[in-house]
Amino acid sequence: MRRAGVVALNTFREAVRDRVLYSLVFFALLMMAAAVAVGQVSIGIEQTVIVSLGLSAISVIGVLISVFIGVALVSKEMDKRTLYALLAKPVRRWEFLLGKFGGLVLTLAVNTAAMALGLLLVMLYVKHSLERSDAVVLVAVYFILLKLALIVALALLFSCFTTPLLAILFTVGLYIVGLYVQELRDLPVEVMSPAMAAFTKWLSRLLPNFENFNVMAMAAHGRAVPGALILQNTLYAVVYCTIVLTAAAVVFSRRNLK
Amino acid sequence: MKSEKTIAWVLLLVLPLGFAAIWRLQHGIDAQRAALSQERDDVLLRSGRLVKIMSLEYAPLLADIYWTRVVQYYGNKHVRGQANLELLWPLLDITTTLDPNLLISYRFGAMFLSQAAPAGAGRPDLAVQLIQRGIQANPEYWRLYEDLGFVYYFDLKDYPKAAEAFLEGSKKPNAQLWMKVMAAKVAAEGDSFATSMFLWKDIYDSTPDPSVKKNALLHLQLLKVRGDCKQLDALADEYAKRYGKRPARISQMVQAGLLRGIPGDPLGFAYILGENGKAELNLDSPLLEQQLLLDRFK
Repeated sequence: MRRAGVVALNTFREAVRDRVLYSLVFFALLMMAAAVAVGQVSIGIEQTVIVSLGLSAISVIGVLISVFIGVALVSKEMDKRTLYALLAKPVRRWEFLLGKFGGLVLTLAVNTAAMALGLLLVMLYVKHSLERSDAVVLVAVYFILLKLALIVALALLFSCFTTPLLAILFTVGLYIVGLYVQELRDLPVEVMSPAMAAFTKWLSRLLPNFENFNVMAMAAHGRAVPGALILQNTLYAVVYCTIVLTAAAVVFSRRNLK
Repeated sequence: MKSEKTIAWVLLLVLPLGFAAIWRLQHGIDAQRAALSQERDDVLLRSGRLVKIMSLEYAPLLADIYWTRVVQYYGNKHVRGQANLELLWPLLDITTTLDPNLLISYRFGAMFLSQAAPAGAGRPDLAVQLIQRGIQANPEYWRLYEDLGFVYYFDLKDYPKAAEAFLEGSKKPNAQLWMKVMAAKVAAEGDSFATSMFLWKDIYDSTPDPSVKKNALLHLQLLKVRGDCKQLDALADEYAKRYGKRPARISQMVQAGLLRGIPGDPLGFAYILGENGKAELNLDSPLLEQQLLLDRFK
């Protein structure tokens, strides 16, 4: 585990060196522009739009980083042949994967926390004070981070057995499908054959349900998120990441790196 | 070294000149396009459900964008004095489907829809539909019942339903006490000056938007004019009783001691007596145009 921690720390350092945190500048500019402009062009939604826009930006920036850097975590090491030097040391392949995952999640956590702080500052500027109910924004940010961790795990899994381009397509595809799990559940099963209905039900339960982590609307309207949901979503993300990372570790350990 | 200097000079020359040319060209293109194209409003996707599905997880942000589009669409039409607001309903439909908890869109949307042209779309039926949808999504929010009562009272003149809406709203958490009083008053009296004044005053006091505030102020001013003219007509009747003929000018009522001076409308313009002997707004008063405009679309 200590070896995985070292890999994680180096992954974080590498991400910082790769100027991943520059996304914060974009976020800051976007939020400042929104804070000034929204009040001029709309009615009564200053706070709502600041929260929706802030959380959407955190999510979009996070998803882009998770997918593109997540996929490159393994493939870059292989392209540069640094992986071979690393695996020649007493580091197991699963430890390497876990470290890479931890490093990128740490990067995302720092990035997301900084953006959340920026969002709260803009809210303070717009509202002139923060209330207890505004804490729901932090819950929404936490859920986004859980979602990003799951995306990183998926990106890692796909990058273990296919090309970077396909891994990106698979990850993005699964992410989008994961947003429509509820739609899948709402399909009219009455008109399907029993086998198809069973398959749809089975699929809708097993696919990663990214809609679970979406509380943006609640945050925008200052509505509290139940504590049970926070716990359930945390467990869901931990269990799902464990499954995906285990699968990734199995695939990666069997991969012929010659 | 020399070539670098040349490049720098070329850049210094080309960039400002180039962008200045682009600036002018764009003006020319804009003028050409404006002459070629007619004004075209369009909502490409009219299904709120489809827009919601396509919005991935960003429906609340998209709802804010659509709401801003509603405000801009209504504002542009309003400024140009255009009565055709046919896209208002599809835009509001999409906004509220994307975010059923965006209360402001129900409240202001209903106002934009219900009022007679040119202040609104003149579709109180759609306003009722919008508010009822809002109530379904936010059953505990009493202000939506107030808005429903408002539309029934002013635009549909359906006083029993207005009273019912006020009463229902009065049972909700945090509802103001006057909701119950209003329910009883509207049920008993129907249309009344005091009720109208109170409702517009509440809109005036509670709205955060300057244009809605201005609209409420205009209605309050016109209501005041209505009340003043009614009183002046009563005094003219009194004058007719005393002198056997109606006064031709308000100054005659002043001379008869019925008035202390010539009264003015809320903008300070003196009232006049029309050819039929009834009190009315001065021809110079800006309120006259507004009154005629509202009466024309009633």
